[in-house]
Amino acid sequence: MMLRNTRLATSLLRGLTLSILGLALTSPAYAADPVTLTLYNGQHKEVGDNLAAAFEAKTGIHVNVRKGSSNQLASQIMEEGDRSPADVFYAEESPPLNNLGEQGFLAKADDSTLQALPKEYVAANGTWIGVTARTRVVAFNPKLIKEEDLPKSVLDFANPEWQGKVGFVPTSGAFQEQAVAIIKLHGRDAAEEWLTGLRAFGKTYTNNMVALKAVENGEVATVLVNNYYWFALEKEKGKLDSKLHYFTDGDAGGLITVSSAGVIKASKHPKEAQQLLAYMASEEGQRVITNTTAEYPMRKGMVSDRGLKPFEELQAPKITPADLGNAEEALDLERETGLL
Amino acid sequence: MLATAHPVRHTLKRKRPSIWLLLPVLLLVGLSLLPLLYVATKAWQAGWAQALSLLWRPYVFGLMRNTLLLMVGVTVTCAVVGLSLAWLLERSNLPGRRLWGVILCLPFAVPAFVSSFTWVSLSASFEGLGGAILVMSLSKYPLIFLPVAATLRNLDPALEESARTLGQNRWGVFFKITLPLLWPSLLAGSLLIALHMLVEFGALSIIGLQTFTTAIYQQFELEFSNANAAMLSAVLLVMCLSLLWLELKVRGKGRHIRIGQGAARRAEQVRLGKWSLVGQVYCLLLAVIGSGIPLGMLAYWLIKGSSAAFPMAAIGEALFSSLALSLGGAALCLVLAVPVGLLVVRYKGQLAIWAERLPYLLHALPGLVIALALVYFSLHYVPVLYQTSALLLVAYALLFLPLAQAPIRTALNKAAPQLEEAARTLGASSFSAFCRVTLPIIFPALGAAFALVFLDAMKELTATLLLSPTGLNTLATQVWAHTSNVEFAAAAPYAALLTVVSGLPVYLLTTRMYLSR
Repeated sequence: MMLRNTRLATSLLRGLTLSILGLALTSPAYAADPVTLTLYNGQHKEVGDNLAAAFEAKTGIHVNVRKGSSNQLASQIMEEGDRSPADVFYAEESPPLNNLGEQGFLAKADDSTLQALPKEYVAANGTWIGVTARTRVVAFNPKLIKEEDLPKSVLDFANPEWQGKVGFVPTSGAFQEQAVAIIKLHGRDAAEEWLTGLRAFGKTYTNNMVALKAVENGEVATVLVNNYYWFALEKEKGKLDSKLHYFTDGDAGGLITVSSAGVIKASKHPKEAQQLLAYMASEEGQRVITNTTAEYPMRKGMVSDRGLKPFEELQAPKITPADLGNAEEALDLERETGLL
Repeated sequence: MLATAHPVRHTLKRKRPSIWLLLPVLLLVGLSLLPLLYVATKAWQAGWAQALSLLWRPYVFGLMRNTLLLMVGVTVTCAVVGLSLAWLLERSNLPGRRLWGVILCLPFAVPAFVSSFTWVSLSASFEGLGGAILVMSLSKYPLIFLPVAATLRNLDPALEESARTLGQNRWGVFFKITLPLLWPSLLAGSLLIALHMLVEFGALSIIGLQTFTTAIYQQFELEFSNANAAMLSAVLLVMCLSLLWLELKVRGKGRHIRIGQGAARRAEQVRLGKWSLVGQVYCLLLAVIGSGIPLGMLAYWLIKGSSAAFPMAAIGEALFSSLALSLGGAALCLVLAVPVGLLVVRYKGQLAIWAERLPYLLHALPGLVIALALVYFSLHYVPVLYQTSALLLVAYALLFLPLAQAPIRTALNKAAPQLEEAARTLGASSFSAFCRVTLPIIFPALGAAFALVFLDAMKELTATLLLSPTGLNTLATQVWAHTSNVEFAAAAPYAALLTVVSGLPVYLLTTRMYLSR
C-alpha cells in the first residue's frame, strides 16, 4: 500500500513537472505553420475576427487576433518596439496610428493600397490607411425629448439645462477626436468649457453600447455616439425606440472620423502583412468589414448598402484625420477637467 | 501544536539547505518583489513633482471616495447580515435551520462578476454605488457568516450561563460575553471582505463603479503601461498594506483564555415563538436576492441565448484553455509551495520567514498590478516569455500561492524528518528519500492545495486579460468580453460553465469545511 502510494506520488510529481514544461513550451500554438500573422485589433472584436477569418479563407494565411483598446495597443506597440509581435494594427480611430506613424513605428503601405483610397483619408507619409468612415451623431429617445428640442450645436449640451439629460463616454477614442475637433474649430478654452460643462451636467458611461442602450431603455434622453452603434443595436433587437439626429452646417457634433490600419515596421512577415492591409482596402475586404459594422466603406467608388444616410449628404465640419493628429491634447484636457 | 511533541527536532538543526531547495525559494522571493519594484520604478521615473500632480487632483479624490464608501458599506452590511444569520441558525430554534445554512451559502458558487452581470442585466438601476454595495454584500456575506457560525457553535455555553445567573438579561449576555468572543472571527472576516473590495475589478467594472482598481485598468486601456496607472497602484498598495497590517495587529490580540476543560455540549436554544415567522421571511428574502436572482437570471439568459444556438467550438476552446491554465497554475503553485514549506519547517531562518510571508502579502494585491509588473519586466528583460502562457502561470502562482501554502505547511509539520533520515541511512538519495517517505505523507494535503488553487484560478480575470497569449480566451475573459459589450445572452453559457466547474466545487468544499458538525 505504502509502496504504491510512493510510486503514485513520484509519477505525479514527474507528471506535474512535465505538464508545466509542456504548457510553457507549447504556448505559441501555431508555431508549426509557415506564416501566421498577428493582428492587434482595437476595432470592435467581431470586425477583426470576421476580417481575419475571411482573409484566411482567401489566402490560407492564419491571423491571430489580439483584442484591446486602440490607445492601449498603440502604446503597447511603442513599448514593445523592435520586439513587437504585431504585424498589422487596426484601430477604431485614426489618432493612434497617426501617433505611431509619426514616431516611426509603421512601415509605408504599398502604393497600390494607398491609391485605392481617397487622399484625405490616408496618412501624408503613407504609413497608414483609413479603412472605414463614420459620423458622430446624437442618439435620442423620442419618448423623453422631441427632435426639434435638440440643440443646433453639440457645444450647447454643456449648458445647465441639460442636467442629467445627456450621456457621453469620456474614455472613447471617438469622443476624444470630437474634443480635438472642438479645439481646432473653436479654440482650447471653448473645448475646456465644453468638457467642464459635460462633466458637471452630463452622465458618463463606460462604453458606447452601454450608453446607447441607456437611451433605448429611456434611462437618459440623449447620448453622443457614432452612427454605427445604432445600426448594431437595431440588428440585434429589431425595431428601436431611439433615433439618430445628424448635426448640420459643419457643426463639431457631426464630425467624420475613420477607423485606420497600418503595417508595423518590426513585423517579421512584411510581405504577408502588406497583403492583409491590401485586403482591407479591397472591395471584398471592405464588404466583409462594413457588413459587420455599419460604417461607410472608404474605397473609391464604393457606397454603403446598409441603409445609412448617404455619405455626401452629411454636413460634417472640414476636419480631416491629419487635423486630428494624435489627439493628445484631448487626453490632457480631459485629465485637466477631471474626466479621466 | 505538534512541535512540542518532537523535542528531538532542536538537536537536528543541521547542515544548510541544499541548492535545489533554495533555488525555487529564491525564485519565488524574486518574483514576489516584482510588483513592488514595478510601482517604485515607474514612480521614480515620473519624479516627485509629476507624481504629486497626478495624485493630488479631484479625479483621484473621487476614486478615493468611491473606494472607501464601497469598502465600508459592503463590510458593515456583511457584518450585520452575517452575524444575525449566524445567531439565527446556531442559537435559535428556527425550523429548517440546517437547510437554510446550506442554501444561504450558495453565493459562494457564483463568481462575483457573474452575479453582478445578472443584476445589471435585470435593471440598469443596479449600476453605481448603491447597486455595487448591494451586489457585493450579497456575494460576500458568507465570508462572515461561516466563521462566526463556526465560532458560535464551538463556544462553551457555560460562560453565557454564568453571566445569566449573575443577573444579565439576554441582550446583556450577547453584548458583554458572546460578542467579545466572536470578535476575532468577525473582524477577520470583515478585513478579508474589505480587502476583496479594494482589489475587485470584474464585478465593479460591470456595475460601472469607478474605484482605484477599475481606474487602473482604464489607465491601462488609455496608455498601456504608464505613470498614471503606477501612481494609482501605489495608492492602492498603501491601502491594501494598511489593511494587512491592521489584520496582523488584530490577530495577535483578542485571545480569550479559559481555565479548565469544561464539558462539550450544545448551547441553549432561544425559542423564537412568534418571531419564528420573521426569521423565516428573513432567510427566504436573503435566499431569493442572494442566490435566487443571480441563478435565475443566469438560467433566463441561458434559455434565451440557446435559441440562437451556442457557439460550441468557441465554448469548448474557452473551457479547454481555462482548464489547462488552471491545472498548470495549480501545479506551479505546488512546485513552489513545497520547497517553501520544507524550508520553513526543517531549516527556519530569515529567508524562510520572508519566503513564507511574501505570498500572503501579494495575495492582498490586485491581480492587475501583478499583471502590469509582469508585462513590464517580461517585455524589457525576458522577451521570450512575453505573451506566453508560461508568464500567465507565473501570475497565477503569485496570486494563489497562499491557498497552497497553508495545507502543505500543516502536513509537513506532521512529516517527521527522522523518517527521511532513516531512509538515507538505508542508502536512498535525499531526493528519493523525500519522494518515497515524505511525499506520501503530505500527499492528501497536496491534493487539497491543488484543488483550492485550481478552482480559484478558473475564476481569475484581470491577469488573464493582460497576460494571455494572443488569441487565447478563457471562460472568465469571454464572460467579461460579452458583458462589457452588453451581450448578456452570449455571456450566459460561459458564465454558467464557470459556475458549474469552479463555483459549485468551491461551494461544496467550503460549506463542508465549516458546516460539518
